Amino acid sequence: MKRFIFPLLAAVCLQSAQARINVTSLPGRDSVQLTIYNSADLTLVKETRTLTLKKGRNRLEFSWAGTLIDPTSVEFRPITHADEVEILDVRFPPRVTNTLEWNIHSEFAGEVKTEIRYFTSGITWNADYLCEANANENQMTFAGNVRVTNRSGEDYPKAQIRLVVGVVRLVEKIIDLARQGQPAPPSGGPRPSISTATRARANAAMGQALAEAEERKDVAKEALGEYFLYTVGGRDTIANGWSKRLPSFNTAEVPIVSYYKYEKERYGAAVMRFYKFKNDEKSKLGKEPLPDGAVMAFRTVTQDNLYNFVGRTAVKYIPIDEEVEMQLGNDAEVRIAPKLMNWQKDAIRFDKNGNVNGWTTKATWKIELQNSKSIPVTLDIRRNFGGDWEVATEDKFEKVDAKKIKFVLQLNPGEKRTLNYTLTTRLGTNATK
Amino acid sequence: MKVLKTFSIFAAALILTDAAQARVKLVALPARARVVVSLANLQATLVEEERIITLQKGVNKIDFSWKGVSIDPASIQIRMLNEPGKVKVLNTSYPPNEQALIWEIASPTARAERMRISYLLQGITRQVVYKATAETDESALTLRNYLRVRNHSGEDLDKAEIGIGYGAGFKRTVQHQETIELLSERIENLPIKKILTWDSKQLPWDPEYEKKTVGIPLNYVIKNDKASKLGAHTLLPGKVRIFIKTKEGVAFTGEDWGGLTPVDREMKLYIGQSREVKVVQRKTTDERVNLRRNNGNRVVMWDQNEVYKVEIQNFKTTPVTLVVREHIPGYWTMIESTHKYAKKDAFTIEYTLELPAKSTGDKKTTLTFNVRRKNVQGNEPSSY
Repeated sequence: MKRFIFPLLAAVCLQSAQARINVTSLPGRDSVQLTIYNSADLTLVKETRTLTLKKGRNRLEFSWAGTLIDPTSVEFRPITHADEVEILDVRFPPRVTNTLEWNIHSEFAGEVKTEIRYFTSGITWNADYLCEANANENQMTFAGNVRVTNRSGEDYPKAQIRLVVGVVRLVEKIIDLARQGQPAPPSGGPRPSISTATRARANAAMGQALAEAEERKDVAKEALGEYFLYTVGGRDTIANGWSKRLPSFNTAEVPIVSYYKYEKERYGAAVMRFYKFKNDEKSKLGKEPLPDGAVMAFRTVTQDNLYNFVGRTAVKYIPIDEEVEMQLGNDAEVRIAPKLMNWQKDAIRFDKNGNVNGWTTKATWKIELQNSKSIPVTLDIRRNFGGDWEVATEDKFEKVDAKKIKFVLQLNPGEKRTLNYTLTTRLGTNATK
Repeated sequence: MKVLKTFSIFAAALILTDAAQARVKLVALPARARVVVSLANLQATLVEEERIITLQKGVNKIDFSWKGVSIDPASIQIRMLNEPGKVKVLNTSYPPNEQALIWEIASPTARAERMRISYLLQGITRQVVYKATAETDESALTLRNYLRVRNHSGEDLDKAEIGIGYGAGFKRTVQHQETIELLSERIENLPIKKILTWDSKQLPWDPEYEKKTVGIPLNYVIKNDKASKLGAHTLLPGKVRIFIKTKEGVAFTGEDWGGLTPVDREMKLYIGQSREVKVVQRKTTDERVNLRRNNGNRVVMWDQNEVYKVEIQNFKTTPVTLVVREHIPGYWTMIESTHKYAKKDAFTIEYTLELPAKSTGDKKTTLTFNVRRKNVQGNEPSSY
């Protein structure tokens, strides 16, 4: 494996780059912080190293072969003796990729704590959730996890991990910049895939990681402008090629509504099942927005809490106080079957030439509903209409928009009932709007 | 148990070398204490297994790997059954290029903890199969409902508790590549209706013009309700094979796919055809009335007056129930009908006729009805 090396260059350099002979020291990282974004393939790495500088001119070489670091992003900053250490220039040597040299002037001789910052591609994080509904499907235990995957080509031992929820804009992809090895004009070319070699590279630093953890890490959350920052407590090692999943929160007794939707234009003839909850304090959540992620939903069905698999879905980014609907597939135990029972065409109008130019249709619909489940369910049945329409019904409904109505009602266990409505549509010259 | 393709779960003091491919493990192999297979969800099979794992005080690594079987890694959950509040999962690590994960579990004391691991496993499929034996008079049948479990998951499931979401579960071993069929219900003397259905859209109107005798579809109708000794749960879709008792043994009468049948609804099984009933339908009147013409004298709208005559003969020595299904498009009204009909939807009506035994010739059943299709322009909807 090509290691990320940091040579302190007390260099004896020949003029030809092909024949560079270096004498290097390898100061180790003192600390590493990873700030990982989930909206783009972007991680900000901040590492600190202690260097011993001599007074006067110092040349530092920094190289990152075999990794996915963006060369245009690498920055160096002295933390101690900052007013005495100045970067004169940065140089990307010819015929060598993934290497740069800093030309530094120091007024101070001795140890200087420095920070090196850069972007890398290949480290990603995502959230996932476990929804464990109770038998009555009116409460759930909701647990969130974050999973960090490192395919950057580099190990980051004992790193502080920060995760950013939010959408950042990048005009060039970090991996494209990383592939160039050196700063280059914008290519706008297609994104190269991470090579198999990089993906496949295995590493055992995980062993060290496994020895580190002692207790469950807290994930601290803070708002940051339009972003939200999760900071995983303590330090973690995520070796190249590995993923690590950390619990973020676990909240019991979150109220949910088991909700069934029917809308032919959207879901076809199937009845779609949802769990609905709110990311607010009343629901024992609402402390932070929830990043988008996959959800596995189970329902506990026995005294000893055996599961039934309800479904899997993905949730969108959920701001605080937002209501969430988790779509969990269809459920044959709830039947919603609309049937056109009568159709009339009347109120015919003719134009001055005697041709038909206006008529009105009256369609009588019956919607059969049946709940075969042992628990009550809430139904949301939506019907879409076009033109100059009017609905007459004794059942309660709500107009969603100009072309849509919904019936929302609860069905008790085993209950059957029907909804009836008549849709009058005025066509041609009969239309009044 | 086959070892070739199997799960392994390791309470591991891991010693890792430089390459993940060569992870050296010192492992204990706790046996499964319980396996539960839930087939309640049609889309995915959920397996829950319990193992008693000895934990040391402090952080323990539990290695779970599934080489050779297809588990959805995102579905894997672990729960502590004895001390869920005290024994905690710290994190989960996923090594590269391995079907494995490692849980770090912190225990306040050295103890044996019963853990339940749940995951969705591919390759286990279930079918519901019905076998019915009808009485000779076809008034009732014995229905047996089987759960057929096919295990091609790569994993042997020893003494697995298998459930389908209703009724009693089963405790059985299902080996890899094994299929078992389990009797989940047996209902004796379940009343059935035997119905012939003549559909004017499907069948020829005048058998005289046919080279072969027209067969009329024959259905057994089972109602999923208490009166039929059913009604406890939705009947799941599955193949139904129907036999009929004979003087000696049984004979096969037909099979059909039974549809999903909620409680109080009917499962209609098309099991064959009857050639003992003959239906002749003719349109005896078909005229345009109430013509409306435009200024060019072209008819732009009219009413259609239609009279249908349906003559039915039953050659059987037993009475038969026949459903005559008629399709009438557009806006229509019934002017006259010799028999009562049920409006199934806007464009479909059904007559249910009890045909006496040997009602042929002069004794045949004659149905006539007169419909007026109104405001016809030639583009009437016939379905919705």
